[in-house]
Amino acid sequence: MMTQSYRPVDIMTCAISNMLKDGETVFHGVSSHLPMVAMSLAKHMHAPDLVHLNIPGGVNPGSIRNASYSSAGADLLDSGEAYFPLEEVFDLSMRGRLDVAFLGGIQFDINGNVNASVIGDYHRPKLRLPGGAGSAVLIPTAKKAIIWRTKHDVRTFVEQVDFVTTRGNLWKIVTPLCVFEFKNGKLYLDTIHPTSSLQEVKDNTGFELLYDEIKYTAEPAKEELVMLKKIDPFDYRAIEL
Amino acid sequence: MKKVISLADASALVENGDTVAFGGNVLHRAPMAFVREIARQGKKDLKIVKTAGAHDIDLLCAVGSVATVDAGFVSYETKFGLASHYRKAVQEGVVKGNEHACYTVICALRGAQMNVPFMPVKGLVAGELLEKNEYFMVVEDPFSGNPVTLVKTIVPDVAVIHVQECDAHGNARIYGPKFEDVLISRAAKKVIITTEQIVPDSKMKLNAEYVDIPSFLVSAVVHAPKGASPTSCYKKYDIDDKSLTSFISMKTKEEIQGYLSSYLAKDHQGERMANR
Repeated sequence: MMTQSYRPVDIMTCAISNMLKDGETVFHGVSSHLPMVAMSLAKHMHAPDLVHLNIPGGVNPGSIRNASYSSAGADLLDSGEAYFPLEEVFDLSMRGRLDVAFLGGIQFDINGNVNASVIGDYHRPKLRLPGGAGSAVLIPTAKKAIIWRTKHDVRTFVEQVDFVTTRGNLWKIVTPLCVFEFKNGKLYLDTIHPTSSLQEVKDNTGFELLYDEIKYTAEPAKEELVMLKKIDPFDYRAIEL
Repeated sequence: MKKVISLADASALVENGDTVAFGGNVLHRAPMAFVREIARQGKKDLKIVKTAGAHDIDLLCAVGSVATVDAGFVSYETKFGLASHYRKAVQEGVVKGNEHACYTVICALRGAQMNVPFMPVKGLVAGELLEKNEYFMVVEDPFSGNPVTLVKTIVPDVAVIHVQECDAHGNARIYGPKFEDVLISRAAKKVIITTEQIVPDSKMKLNAEYVDIPSFLVSAVVHAPKGASPTSCYKKYDIDDKSLTSFISMKTKEEIQGYLSSYLAKDHQGERMANR
């Protein structure tokens, strides 16, 4: 038997990288190491002219190696080529010129609703979550919103979210088990990671799985894994796991 | 008028019930020496405004200084986890968490900058934030007849911004990311600058075009070396991992008071340096 040389987090990173096209304007926010690494990977592999935007305002950071504890630090501007701060990234998205935004959330439902706000009553919550940050204005205005979530269980993928922080141009949700695609107003199972199975996805999803056919996420290519070692030697992509 | 004053005197400019905007973003360049001083002075009922906050908001919630928080995101970054004192205060009903999308905080401050009562904001068109919060409203655009979302203007009574360099008059320069600091300096009624260094006027004049906040907008200047610590200050120091980690693990009021005391001498060292 061949030993597996990659982890689910590597599949997630490579799958996200392959969703990004050359020339696209792409934004990630705070606490977003995994998409930050995926953006850098895309830039080094197939999308050299991808435009990397972030909160500190560094356009196309030359390196993400110093972003050890923060994906919103001055290092991204320090190694960048121009200053384009958060305010202006939002304005850009409002003008319809942000292609991809990466956002988080803690609960998602089959109708594409995203909850990053509260569990329980909004004004007197059982659990106060960090908040959706830019989600409520970026998910509706970015051309494609990609969500990544390192937890995949029945409390995360639910029939109906406790609170609708936002909804809109959600495109994909990437988890350690699979990729969902939002189309025709519903979340569809897009691909299952080779490290998981249909049964495992079913067991950990709180709503009925919709799919046209069973497809598997591409395994990370050897070249991608080599590049990941180079651009992310300290494994920031796995910081959430 | 002498603008350079002590940390204690500057903190006294903040009154109970004030709306206070802090500079910086999450783990970076938050005006922590000032925040610790208002915590020590036992300020009450503050209304905090920030696009994305962490230790500043969490600490003030821990000491019971906060009435409301208007923010898009309140949490430390991944490695350090959630802002547990803020969460607890909101969950217990002590603090009202007014959730924004970071951009709606920006628009609410732009409203203050332009002195208009509200700002139209694109993008916020779906979801329950619109329904549950009275500071958002959907009306008919009188020109096109289409629906348009409005956000109510937020006028901070005080903006507190920590910078690397400032002269004795208050001309301030921010190195690296400015986050929303320039905007809050224009939106607030009073601006307090805490600074790593007070530099000679001649140095500021040399590159006047790099002054981010001109002195006529500034009410007070505080010399506060390491004034952003334990958050980072670009070109000066990185985060203080140990201090943040120890704070995050604290649960009791005594521990928090101990934490505030442990910074007392450091926070006031700028005054001692000036009096020498």
